[in-house]
Amino acid sequence: MNEACERYIEDPEANAAHLETCEACRELFGELDTPVAEHRPISVDALPLAAWEGASHRSWPLVVGGALLLIGIAAALFAIAGISPRVLIMQLPSRDVMASVINGGGAFVQNAPRAWQIGIGIGFLVINTILYVLLRRSPRGVDAA
Amino acid sequence: MRRNALLLVSLLFVAPLATASSEPGMQSFGHSVTIDQPVKGDVQVYGGAATVRDVIDGDLFVFGEGVTFEGKGRVTGNVIWFGGQVTNGEGRIGGRLYSPTSFESAAAAMTRNAVILSLLVVWLIAAVILALMSGRELRLSSIEVRSSPLHCFALGLVAMTSFVLSAIVFSYLIPYLVGIPLLAALGVFAMLTKVYGTIAVFHAVGTLVAGSRTRDQLARRKWLRGDLAMVVVGLLILGAIRMLPVVGPLVWGCASVFGVGVALATKFGRREPWFLVWRPADA
Repeated sequence: MNEACERYIEDPEANAAHLETCEACRELFGELDTPVAEHRPISVDALPLAAWEGASHRSWPLVVGGALLLIGIAAALFAIAGISPRVLIMQLPSRDVMASVINGGGAFVQNAPRAWQIGIGIGFLVINTILYVLLRRSPRGVDAA
Repeated sequence: MRRNALLLVSLLFVAPLATASSEPGMQSFGHSVTIDQPVKGDVQVYGGAATVRDVIDGDLFVFGEGVTFEGKGRVTGNVIWFGGQVTNGEGRIGGRLYSPTSFESAAAAMTRNAVILSLLVVWLIAAVILALMSGRELRLSSIEVRSSPLHCFALGLVAMTSFVLSAIVFSYLIPYLVGIPLLAALGVFAMLTKVYGTIAVFHAVGTLVAGSRTRDQLARRKWLRGDLAMVVVGLLILGAIRMLPVVGPLVWGCASVFGVGVALATKFGRREPWFLVWRPADA
């Protein structure tokens, strides 16, 4: 019994080709009446397309085309409306406004009627318990696919 | 060591910030308010309208039916409002006039679609970066959202509600040192979840619509293959739907719910458990 025989005994399916070359193993497994794993060539084309096949391909022309399309139409619409895209940035809340919102939110919570506060507390506990239960389920995407 | 840690925790939770000792101001819940005399501090109106006839030396928050300025009414700080309109406010606001909906209303004035397209460009940049950095994770999340859509949607809804309620609960801690960092951490986490999840939904939509079904088809394609292409196709499709008047925001909102759900269901595509269960070691 050599190393190849040992490997076959450890994992007959992965080393099925060994039986074709080793008389001793064929006899041994024949005596044991063990179903011998046959070495069958796999037809890759017969298998369904796996999600990772071709996934690493990078279609830069598509990315550039998509970006140009979006920028082009947006620029045209801004031009038609006669407004600079800079207005968008001015609409974002400043640090001052953000601080006001945060302080206001804190004051709202602390001064809300008792019933609201109890409701918020119960809601917080209930919703986070449901979240915990849902997060315990393992993802099954790859197995289902 | 343990005592020091306890001291630090108690300091964080118990010791209020000096700056948090704000002026009293006033709060109103569920009814309208008229300011007839000067108020020092912030005024907050939830579920009603505010009529300002005198000076508010602070910020004014109105979530409900808008703000009306009359007589010598003035606000020295910011006016933050949601719902209704601000009437007669020109020159009476010392700080900024801001509304969470002003982005949309500005968008409506300057062609709403131009704004949406500009935001789609930002989404495209984020999607390309994420697809290049974590293509495998995105793909696994995309498979998950296609194979367990109901679970992802339910999880997304619950998670979004949890974010809002957690933010409200953390707001209790704003006067203490720990409040702001907790809120900031929650905000960053929620933002990352939404961005990652929405890009995974782009991938799922792209694969559903333009993904290769056979190996021959895949081999024949030059551009329309790979994670990057699927993400871009999904983004363009959802972006086009987003521009439709009523259906668009609804579909985009649903995509966000699916996205948050799938990001959490797959732990950002890593497919690891969030909670480890303790079991005694086998002898």
